[in-house]
Amino acid sequence: MKEHIIFYSVVKKYFIELKRYFLNTLMSMIGIFIMFLLVFFGLRSFEAGTDTLQGSIVGFAMWIFAVMAYSEMSWGLLQEARDGTLEQLYLTPSTFRRISAYRVFGSFIFQFMLFTVFLGIMMVVTGQYLTLNAGVIILIGLTLLSIYGLGYIMGGLSLVFKKVQAGNQILQFLFILLLVLPTITDHQIIYFMPLSWGNHMINKMMIDGLSLFDFTLLEYLILLVNSFAYLIIGLFIFSLMERSAKKRGLLGHY
Amino acid sequence: MKALNYSEKNVDKVLTVKDLEKTYPQWRKEPTKAVDGISFSVDKGEIVGFLGPNGAGKTTTIKCICGLVEPTKGDITIYGIDAVNDTRKAVSNTSAVLEGNRNIYWRLTTRENLEFFARLHGRSLKEAEPEINALLKRFDLQNKENEPARKLSRGMQQKLALSCALIRGTDFLLLDEPTLGLDVKTSKEMRAFVKQLTSNGGKTILLSSHDMNVVEDVCERVIIMNEGKILANDSVNNLKDIFNVHLYDFILEGEPKLSDLENEYEISDIHYENGKTKLRVSLKKSDSFYELVNHLQKKDIKLEEVKNLDKNMEEIFMNVIEKEGL
Repeated sequence: MKEHIIFYSVVKKYFIELKRYFLNTLMSMIGIFIMFLLVFFGLRSFEAGTDTLQGSIVGFAMWIFAVMAYSEMSWGLLQEARDGTLEQLYLTPSTFRRISAYRVFGSFIFQFMLFTVFLGIMMVVTGQYLTLNAGVIILIGLTLLSIYGLGYIMGGLSLVFKKVQAGNQILQFLFILLLVLPTITDHQIIYFMPLSWGNHMINKMMIDGLSLFDFTLLEYLILLVNSFAYLIIGLFIFSLMERSAKKRGLLGHY
Repeated sequence: MKALNYSEKNVDKVLTVKDLEKTYPQWRKEPTKAVDGISFSVDKGEIVGFLGPNGAGKTTTIKCICGLVEPTKGDITIYGIDAVNDTRKAVSNTSAVLEGNRNIYWRLTTRENLEFFARLHGRSLKEAEPEINALLKRFDLQNKENEPARKLSRGMQQKLALSCALIRGTDFLLLDEPTLGLDVKTSKEMRAFVKQLTSNGGKTILLSSHDMNVVEDVCERVIIMNEGKILANDSVNNLKDIFNVHLYDFILEGEPKLSDLENEYEISDIHYENGKTKLRVSLKKSDSFYELVNHLQKKDIKLEEVKNLDKNMEEIFMNVIEKEGL
């Protein structure tokens, strides 16, 4: 199977492109960091408690993670269509869904590196120290699967409808709501929403210092079912949209 | 309407298209029929040209072949593999340059593009590297191998796009307007290279172009399409013969008797001017020209000037389109 060569090619290209647009990447990072400082010191001026401040650090980092992961799917796909290279990605022995997943994997690696650096700077700047270990990384990965599912849905919609940026903005705000949901309510709804339950578990590990072994099987089951359900639904809707785009001859349009 | 069928050679079929139909559904509008039940095939080692005005259905047909557009009806096979139901397997034997210079990554360098597309087709760099170097040399891109593709000239980008299709290592190539927007020199280079691909490289090519000269120069066979239908499918030479296109103007000294000539050849016009005879002759075969010259010599008729008025592909194309077939 030559799939590993295709995987390597997609991930390598992702990093080459990041390097080519280093200044752009750096400037967007600085912008995000300034935004974070405004949120954090804004909260502190309201004399928020330590838990709230630490929660805001984790929540903000997760929000950035989610927005970037999701944008990679929807925006990345639109960019390929604009550049005229999208159709070339369909002419491979692999499938486009797999190629997108490889690119998302590349972006996950990059985003995680950023996440770590960000978190480090945030902790030094704010004086609030949090736990970051392998367990947290596993939970972040699992939690983000649901976001990748949403990314596939928006990616599929952008294949057919092209301009879906307004939906992207709505989702960015929705992510904030989903992240703070467990702090607002104990209602079972948090088990069914993307991002919420995973973020709740990540908070427990990073702020309260719990380990992977401190969660029950049921809690893991909720996370796994939730994340994979969104991912599978996302892939299914993407397939439907992809088929519709092929029927309408829209793959190469932008 | 009568469309000529290309005489089927008894060789391997690389591509077979049968009763292909594509209707694009439209929101609250009448569906648009882009391809209307066309059938044709491409043999191993052939270069077949797709000619047609805008909206004829050429690009839709090419995109149906490589699985980018889902056909409404019909069958497509590539190397015997069902390209409609098993698209992935079928296109693994196919490369395409679909929109000229838009098929490459402008942020990657020339070499990075070639490496990416080789790997995207599952080829290891070890396997593809000698070919990458050969392509860079062939297309004179060696000095630009570390330049981002966006900084290359349009001609170079087009060459790179073709190289990226070739580095995939497939034997069947689909080229949609490969010389569009190129200057005369680069277009000539591209044509020469495309011809070489079948003669030396063993490739099979289906090429669409607006440029009649490209099709006439490069292709052995032409498929003329209009409004989703195939109007003609034959070799360039046969099409010329069909249109009696071996047309010559002769200027003869004096006013010789031409009655026997009129019996043997199709003379459409004779007139006399300033002690000279001007006649226009249509020959069924290009070889007949030499017979006619011999005939004139035997009769001691002095030939002052001959003009070949053969129709070019553009005239043939216009004829086919206007008559909606042959």
